[in-house]
Amino acid sequence: MGSLLADWPSYNPHNFSQIRPADPSAQPSKLTPITYHPTHNRTLPPPNQVISTETRHILLRRFYQKSVEKLRPKRAASDNLTPDHGSKQLRGAFADGCN
Amino acid sequence: MSVWNYVVTAHKPTNVTHSCVGNFTSPQELNLIIAKCTRIEIHLLTPHGLQPMLDVPIYGRIATLELFRPHGEPQDFLFIATERYKFCVLQWDAETSELITRAMGDVSDRIGRPTDNGQIGIIDPDCRLIGLHLYDGLFKVIPFDNKGQLKEAFNIRLEELQVLDIKFLYGCAKPTIVVLYQDNKDARHVKTYEVALKDKDFVEGPWAQNNLDNGAGLLIPVPMPLGGVIIIGEETIVYCSATAFKAIPIRPSIIRAYGRVDVDGSRYLLSDNAGLLHLLVITHERERVTGLKIEHLGETSVASTISYLDNAVVYVGSSYGDSQLIKLNLQPDAKGSYVEVLERYVNLGPIVDFCVVDLERQGQGQVVTCSGAYKDGSLRVVRNGIGINEQASVELQGIKGLWSLRSSTNDPYDTFLVVSFISETRILAMNMDDELEETEIEGFYAQAQTLFCHNAMHDQLVQVTANSVRLVSSTSRDLLDQWNAPSGFSVNVATANASQVLLATGGGHLVYIEIGNGKLVEAKHIQLEYEISCLDINPIGENSNYSSLAAVGMWTDISVRIFSLPSLELLTKENLGGEIIPRSVLLCTFEGVSYLLCALGDGHLFNFLLNTSTGELSNRKKVSLGTQPITLRTFSSKDTTHVFAASDRPTVIYSSNKKLLYSNVNLKEVSHICPFNSAAFPDSLAIAKEGELSIGAIDDIQKLHIRTIPLGEHARRICHQEQSRTFAVCSLKNCQTSTEETEMHFVRLLDDQSFEFISTYPLDTYEYGCSIISCSFSDDNNVYYCVGTAYVLPEENEPSKGRILVFLVEDGKLQLIAEKETKGAVYSLNAFNGKLLAAINQKIQLYKWMLRDDGSRELQSECGHHGHILALYVQTRGDFIIVGDLMKSISLLLYKHEEGAIEELARDYNANWMTAVEILDDDIYLGAENNFNLFTVRKNSDAATDEERGRLEVVGEYHLGEFVNRFRHGSLVMRLPDSEAGHIPTVIFGTVNGVIGIVASLPHDQYVFLEKLQSNLVKVIKGVGGLSHEQWRSFNNEKKTVDARNFLDGDLIESFLDLSRSRMEEISKAMGVSVEELCKRVEELTRLH
Repeated sequence: MGSLLADWPSYNPHNFSQIRPADPSAQPSKLTPITYHPTHNRTLPPPNQVISTETRHILLRRFYQKSVEKLRPKRAASDNLTPDHGSKQLRGAFADGCN
Repeated sequence: MSVWNYVVTAHKPTNVTHSCVGNFTSPQELNLIIAKCTRIEIHLLTPHGLQPMLDVPIYGRIATLELFRPHGEPQDFLFIATERYKFCVLQWDAETSELITRAMGDVSDRIGRPTDNGQIGIIDPDCRLIGLHLYDGLFKVIPFDNKGQLKEAFNIRLEELQVLDIKFLYGCAKPTIVVLYQDNKDARHVKTYEVALKDKDFVEGPWAQNNLDNGAGLLIPVPMPLGGVIIIGEETIVYCSATAFKAIPIRPSIIRAYGRVDVDGSRYLLSDNAGLLHLLVITHERERVTGLKIEHLGETSVASTISYLDNAVVYVGSSYGDSQLIKLNLQPDAKGSYVEVLERYVNLGPIVDFCVVDLERQGQGQVVTCSGAYKDGSLRVVRNGIGINEQASVELQGIKGLWSLRSSTNDPYDTFLVVSFISETRILAMNMDDELEETEIEGFYAQAQTLFCHNAMHDQLVQVTANSVRLVSSTSRDLLDQWNAPSGFSVNVATANASQVLLATGGGHLVYIEIGNGKLVEAKHIQLEYEISCLDINPIGENSNYSSLAAVGMWTDISVRIFSLPSLELLTKENLGGEIIPRSVLLCTFEGVSYLLCALGDGHLFNFLLNTSTGELSNRKKVSLGTQPITLRTFSSKDTTHVFAASDRPTVIYSSNKKLLYSNVNLKEVSHICPFNSAAFPDSLAIAKEGELSIGAIDDIQKLHIRTIPLGEHARRICHQEQSRTFAVCSLKNCQTSTEETEMHFVRLLDDQSFEFISTYPLDTYEYGCSIISCSFSDDNNVYYCVGTAYVLPEENEPSKGRILVFLVEDGKLQLIAEKETKGAVYSLNAFNGKLLAAINQKIQLYKWMLRDDGSRELQSECGHHGHILALYVQTRGDFIIVGDLMKSISLLLYKHEEGAIEELARDYNANWMTAVEILDDDIYLGAENNFNLFTVRKNSDAATDEERGRLEVVGEYHLGEFVNRFRHGSLVMRLPDSEAGHIPTVIFGTVNGVIGIVASLPHDQYVFLEKLQSNLVKVIKGVGGLSHEQWRSFNNEKKTVDARNFLDGDLIESFLDLSRSRMEEISKAMGVSVEELCKRVEELTRLH
């Protein structure tokens, strides 16, 4: 255990060197730093650093990407159609079978 | 009409939600930055501990807080994202000590389902992008360019819909996230994705890990050279990377907070839901992880955030208890704990309930809150007053007087503390080690009680005893001269300043002595018709060593008189009336106005305006400070003079805006005080009280003082009963046995002075206390506590059974007088027309208090009203009933006596999910809902149509940014009849973040004036991070966002007083009102809280 608890990192050996532990029975302290009320102009960022999300919707972005891909061989598209067609027939067949 | 409301914070949020450490204010300085919901605090690490630098209000509820270091920057930037989808990047400008906005923006999407598990905001360790998970199925990326500038954000589709945590991995060539998620079979997994910034898409990451601990909830990314991630579960902790998988079992617990200790990521602090602190160690050899170890270190508050600071000191931020500064010791203490608490920081959150009481019966409200949760549950007594921080104390019985003396006239510090007893005088002095030790002043007479002593001119000291006045050199400490009382007479009361002594002996003799260099000269002697009870010659004129007026209080005719000095000519005589003699008089000046204060033996205090040239007294005012004799003393704090009134209710009297104000002190009974300003205890007071002498520093004037009463269990409802001088609370205690965790629920009775448990009524298994009131019934003189309960059974969605318990306090014990079973949870109870009004699930039910034939009592149902989803909050006024519904906003009911029926009159048709309601006046009702908004609705009883009359019109809307759990009428400040603020009705609210706030209903003209001031202030006081005040305060829920109306932001308005003169003038010009007038009007508002 001792070795695990040794060598606590130290960035500045002075930090907390003079702190005295509070009386454990004492009431907790209530630190109240000064409240900041900026009146300067630099609360607004440079104009190019007002960030928004790209307006193109994620789905549209995908469609556009797809359409770029579609400009390539057309066989892929007809391949896709066949199973669609097939499934329609299958459903019909299934329905017939039920009746 | 209470339509025009002013909302102001009396106690800022204290719930710590986030913290981080870095070089923010300078490359050399290490800072701790804390988020407390709507504020951040910047602290500096110093040899003496944490030094608070700045409290920064943020126009938003902080969802994420991260420090990061962009490439090439010497110090860290702060990234803040708010719950309403705004973000900003702040930089500290050391030259001007200002926060500068580097970037900001809106990251909301028009369509999207907000995440259930909270918002996630993370920054790539190599600063290539900021990642946000705000909506299910979407991961938002804000990329950095190579100059560290942010670019337009974009979304990436995230397949995992139930995300529990996302972190960036260290040391990846492409930015890589690790996602902890739950699938639709409730199994939990992690997987990794690379963010392809160019393609704006994810690429499958280097590794994944399926089927983790079912309670896995937290990811800790491990820095290089180890890399990978730690996954914290409820029963196991796992280390995972592309090449390694190590797991260790842990005692079942829920770990929600971690803090990295070493830069290389080999040790982490973990805090669980019981506040147990553990050290997790990654063991490794040649940059390869060989295993995990976990060690128990000790107990802290239940942590919401942990930041390792420096040199084994750690900040533990808590939402459920006080936050702490702790030190990790190398060796365990006697209890086996390695944790030493260095400091505790007050946290009132979550305030689940509170009551407003006047325990001291002084006309000043105190708020007693149910604060904290689990083991850190407590009651907090919050009152407006002054705290004395005791620094040293010693047991000393029978102190009759206290004075501090300097060893020479020019010494800035006091050396001696003269303590007088009935038959001796002891002298304490600061020694070289800054300790008080007993010493002697040879020239003083130590075998008698000292009546008065003081530093005199020419490095002399003067001591008055019953027999003599002694003049002593403060350097040699030898007696220089002595005045003896005539034989047969003894000195009863005496006073002195640097050049004069005034004393009174038996028989009404008043003797005036002037102090020369080594000489005492009796300058005048007169005899008055009665005995003299008190005296004062505090110099308030231009000469600080000499007074030309003397104040004298008299026995028998009960008068106070002003004499001129040195002639002892009577200038004014003021009869005080009554039979109580004056015990202490004081001439004093506040803000350039001279007063005579005169305190009586029964705790009353007169104050008069004093004309220092004529001695005339005017503007007589009387206040009650306590019940025992008062001793008045002046003291200085921050270069301003105040008066301390020592009595059974010690009070500090001070002046603000040329008005005298009275503030309580957090001490029980003080018999004597004197200022004691030493090098070791600067600006302190020596205080004699209850058998002890203590030295204490005084807090800032006019601040809330908080007293903590730890309960070790979670109090959920509280109520005060004046007649039995008790509090009753409904509480729950978590009990951890070796095998399982159980809850026990209680009704506890506490003494309202000692706050000790004096009686306990245990509730049944599964029975929760839901509501509690103190009330009486028609035809019965007893005052009862009524408790409403619910049986919360694990298999039920809504409780179907509850009880109403009626208790009487007899001999300090809770006696159950009656009980009534109900068909649901009794969410609310109200005393109503001598009956009991209960809200039970969907129903409002009225019960009569019936006398049975055998003389016993029972609750009997009279009538009820259906039509709510869940009637959670009920308030009544006369025959009117206001119901705050779970999800159907506010409705107004009326009890009809003749018909014995309750009918609905009107309702607000908005779908607000209510968290609290209160009645402001006959027509205006105030509500708080779960999107952190406040609103008011108005009854339209004069409307033309039934349809309009049946509708509660929304008249005010405001985004508070706080979750309100309770409203109560009352005030935290003493309402003095002469103050204008005394006529403004106020409601106090308490919130989850520990905020205590005030809603004050203003007259219309004042509202209009302040609205104009607010609109001008918005132009001058900018939102930190460029966030907009108007947007922040706009009412906002899932359905709508509308501008705030008929509510004013008091926090903004009161910050006018913190502005520089030039900014004030800017506003004054825009308003066409003088700065003085503006200050005066805003200061009046600050006195509301």
